[in-house]
Amino acid sequence: MIKVENLAKAFPGTLAVDDVSFEVRAGEIVGFLGPNGAGKTTTMRILCGYLAPTSGLVEVAGHDVLRDSRSARRNIGYLPENCPLYPEMRVDDYLFFRGRLKGLSGRHCRQRLSDVKELCGLQGMGHRIIGNLSKGYRQRVGLADALIADPPLLILDEPTIGLDPNQIREVRALIRGLAQQHTVLLSTHILPEVEVTCQRVLIIHCGRIVAADTTRSLIERVSFPRMLVEVQADAGELKDRLLGLSAVKGVEIEPVGHWLRVRIEGHGGMDMRPELWRFLREAGWEVREFYSEKSTLEEVFSSLTEGGKAEPAAVETAI
Amino acid sequence: MKRIWTMWSRELAAYFFSPMAYVVMIFFLVVMGFSFWLLATVLSQGVRGGPVMNELFASIFFWLTILITIPVITMRLFAEEKRAGTLETLLTAPVRDSEVVLAKYLGALSFYVVLWLPTVTYIAVMKLFEPPGTPIDLGPMVSGYAGALLVGALYLSAGLFTSSLTGNQIVAAIGCFAICCVSFLGGFLPYLVHSGPVREVATYLSSVMYMMDASRGVVDTRGIVFHLSGIVLMLFLTVKVLESRRVV
Repeated sequence: MIKVENLAKAFPGTLAVDDVSFEVRAGEIVGFLGPNGAGKTTTMRILCGYLAPTSGLVEVAGHDVLRDSRSARRNIGYLPENCPLYPEMRVDDYLFFRGRLKGLSGRHCRQRLSDVKELCGLQGMGHRIIGNLSKGYRQRVGLADALIADPPLLILDEPTIGLDPNQIREVRALIRGLAQQHTVLLSTHILPEVEVTCQRVLIIHCGRIVAADTTRSLIERVSFPRMLVEVQADAGELKDRLLGLSAVKGVEIEPVGHWLRVRIEGHGGMDMRPELWRFLREAGWEVREFYSEKSTLEEVFSSLTEGGKAEPAAVETAI
Repeated sequence: MKRIWTMWSRELAAYFFSPMAYVVMIFFLVVMGFSFWLLATVLSQGVRGGPVMNELFASIFFWLTILITIPVITMRLFAEEKRAGTLETLLTAPVRDSEVVLAKYLGALSFYVVLWLPTVTYIAVMKLFEPPGTPIDLGPMVSGYAGALLVGALYLSAGLFTSSLTGNQIVAAIGCFAICCVSFLGGFLPYLVHSGPVREVATYLSSVMYMMDASRGVVDTRGIVFHLSGIVLMLFLTVKVLESRRVV
């Protein structure tokens, strides 16, 4: 659905996007992650034909975004950052205007209007003036606008920014629901959001893709297996015997009342749980906790995006 | 065409959603009403040899209203969309840049026409009170309105252009005001320079002289060509400014 090859975008003084290549297949929900100023918005603007790439090839639904820009744009529903809307218009009028602009016929547009309003939880809001809506509802109007022409590809730039936790959950559920018929590329720097919403993640840092993988394997790839165990045993003996296990790299023991809280670090890439469990069972100690600490996407993210060259300033284009 | 219509109707409606439109309309009608009162005063002093419609279409009051209202009409067209970020939603819809420019221009032009519409009653009033034996000549009125439309259309296109250059409405308005002032004041050059190529060129480019002629019922095709080509140039430049965001 999206094909990007060796994309670069230079602004005077900065290289916002530097040799980026990735693909998004139809039906995927892909998270586009990166710290502020990493090049997420610039990349999305290029995908939507708002900016032209300095070099590289960008195709959306088989159309080159530069040469065949309008055909490419017909396949995209785009929600820009901060969700800009015309504040003086009413919700219905705005969505109708956008639908017509995207080439829907009058009747079809009215049909879609009621569909997307239902989908985005905007029933009964049609006569409200956009400028008087809360941030959450404005975000829904923006999302409804992206959906109105029923495009195969949705590009959402920070769709949950500024929403309260309930609204965030609703928007996530909505996006997951859309995935059955749409391909979604969404950018965010809220990591739990990606973990729950996306199947695949692209991490961009300083204009370069530093990781592109499924969420799960990305976490596993960078994870350092850690176990937390609480047992009743003699501290010295426990430590010696644990360190004797092949999978164990380090042990930390801390007494908690009659119990010992033991933090065990394993060698990367090895699952130490079966061996550890066998060991504890054979030793015959009382065990009240056996817990494997998983690393989060947050750790992955910071391990990939910390350091490197100095953070380029956030790129706000002139137009 | 359908897309231009869609955008045009939104542009025109947007004027009436903002208080600015009503302020502009009140200002315009007050000054034009005063001009009409002057015209009526001149006419009430009895039959006179010279043209009279210049009180309405070529007086200092006419130019004052044009120079003030047109930057106010055009300043928000692109500047506001850029400031609010809605230009991004607009231009990522499957529309051509030229369609956006044309729709916005036609929206501003339509509002300008709406401004002038109430003044048609002046003609009705004059027709109603025309003295027996000396009928009011409709010719200069028609050419005067056509001239006001043409000159307004050129200045509006200049305003559209300056609005596309900036995200600040004030800057856009001052830019447009500056361009219109240069055109207006330059229009007096033929009165100041009495010979040579400067006078010749300035005569062709003078909106002031064009309106003087138009209010006498003279339709000069050279002026029409100048104003129309000015409009085309400004619209073309505006499209190029929009496209420039895609340039490396």
